[in-house]
Amino acid sequence: MTHGVKRLALMALLTAASLILFVVEAQIPSPVPVPGVKLGLANIITLVAMVLLSRREAGLVLLVRILLGAVFAGSPSTLLYSAAGGILAYAVMCLLVKRIPENRLWLTSIFAALAHNAGQLIICILVTQTSQLIVYAPALAASGILTGAFTGVAAAALVKALHKINL
Amino acid sequence: MKISTKKWIILFAAAAGICAAVFLLVRFLGPKGTVAVISVDGEVIRRVALTGVDRPYDIEIRTEYGHNTVHVEEGAVSVTAADCPDRICVHQGRVTTAGIPIVCMPHRLVIQIEGDAVDAWS
Repeated sequence: MTHGVKRLALMALLTAASLILFVVEAQIPSPVPVPGVKLGLANIITLVAMVLLSRREAGLVLLVRILLGAVFAGSPSTLLYSAAGGILAYAVMCLLVKRIPENRLWLTSIFAALAHNAGQLIICILVTQTSQLIVYAPALAASGILTGAFTGVAAAALVKALHKINL
Repeated sequence: MKISTKKWIILFAAAAGICAAVFLLVRFLGPKGTVAVISVDGEVIRRVALTGVDRPYDIEIRTEYGHNTVHVEEGAVSVTAADCPDRICVHQGRVTTAGIPIVCMPHRLVIQIEGDAVDAWS
């Protein structure tokens, strides 16, 4: 029983933390003026949830964060983009998290970030019906690699710290 | 098939560098154009000539998604104001080539420069 309660509390904690990161990041103007390029700080928590919890539980943390994130720091149309990116990134994480060892979490993170950006670009092309937007692909790939590496390293550090306090 | 961490880092650093370079080349060295095509939801709502613009002027785009102010000047177009949450369209600045369109994702707005003869994508 206490085990279940602990997991539930951890899920709630991670959801809250990722929501805060998401809202705070939305307030910071992007240094790179390319649509879809952002640091994706909230993904640090998604990765941590993926490692500490089950895939299903991590998926729930992500889902609640995306929905509440749109409420607090977005609009219905931004929800569409973050949902498309989030779902693809989640699929990639599910696929890789057990295959790539924990000390290479940054690799999983890069692939997830690339999937996220691909999902966003595809939705953007569908919504605007402008296939010409594919020219943004290289910029989004470069950004996915850099931000994915950063959030991956941050997530690995957080996982290490949380292991120490036996979470 | 075990790839060392060092090799992964080199691979990704090279990929990121090449991708960024390609994007910047397209952004700044794309073909010149004379018409800015403004579309919302994939439908062209206005075609604006970028030649013979004696005085720069603004176009207000109001749709069900929100509001953007498009600034038109000789050979260049930019978004100078918007009520979207991220305002990335504004930060994209002046666009002078057909290489990279301006996009406002929340407002489904795309501004693409085209050459006068080119009407392939609209």
